[in-house]
Amino acid sequence: MSGSPSQHSRVILAVDDSASMRQMVRFTLESAGYKVVQAVDGVEALDFAKQSAVDLVLTDVNMPRMDGITLVRELRGLSTYKFTPMLVLTTESGSDTKQRGKQAGATGWIVKPFSPEQLLSTIARVL
Amino acid sequence: MDLAHLLPKPNEPTSDDTVIAPIAWTPEQQIARMLELCEAQMESALSESDVAVDELIKSFKGLIEAGQALGSQVESTDLAQQLDALRKQTAAAVVAFQFYDKLTQRLGHVRYSLSAMAMFVCDREKSSERDQWRRLFSTLRRLYRTEEERQLFKLMVDGATAEQAREHIQQSTLTLRAAPTGEIELF
Repeated sequence: MSGSPSQHSRVILAVDDSASMRQMVRFTLESAGYKVVQAVDGVEALDFAKQSAVDLVLTDVNMPRMDGITLVRELRGLSTYKFTPMLVLTTESGSDTKQRGKQAGATGWIVKPFSPEQLLSTIARVL
Repeated sequence: MDLAHLLPKPNEPTSDDTVIAPIAWTPEQQIARMLELCEAQMESALSESDVAVDELIKSFKGLIEAGQALGSQVESTDLAQQLDALRKQTAAAVVAFQFYDKLTQRLGHVRYSLSAMAMFVCDREKSSERDQWRRLFSTLRRLYRTEEERQLFKLMVDGATAEQAREHIQQSTLTLRAAPTGEIELF
């Protein structure tokens, strides 16, 4: 997996409380040429996003301190993240939670486990 | 250093004897202890596995990076084909690794259920009321978030036997083998 020149300048904020998931996401995205910054929960992600710009947010739902849906809602409230793609990557496939994600402003919903190829093509599509 | 002087003499009352009241023996408390033991065993096994999986992921990442570095240095059609095969296997391994995360999450829910059940059975008044059981099940239902957990929960609450549950699990595993990755929906 090698990235195109345009991908090298793209920064993706990956948010997950699971260390193994963060590593899998990072490994997949970096192999495709993206720059990856990581956060362990919504609070850490929001703090980072307020200080530095990112091109896409990829977040889990269930995390301590602040869940992924709240994070999406909080980010959408900031003028700098009004149009930033935000993908939810979660084990939750229930329509109620998905609907809450959509209402909060998520761009899409990816159910774990993800296929690296499909994740990269989805990211390329929304960026 | 000789620490024998710190130990209580055989018939000397210890501070523990005076502070801790003996716990009354009840069948409910024995059930609760067993449930707590199951929960603790799971936590211990998961902590052990976390360390091992972390090492496994590091080794996996190292191997892939070494392969990529090798591929960028050597120009050979054979090697390019082998690297392509390696890339496909890497993608399959990335999917497989994510099942450990799912396992951790699911066992976390089971651990919570065991703790909740341990507290519940000790409350004789609560556990003798049908409505309180219904409430407990309702709380636990909200805990289960993956499709597999939900299906299994519904099956068991609806009165399936352990044998029927096993059949369901076997069927789910077959489905999973055919399509191991989750769905994607863009809004």
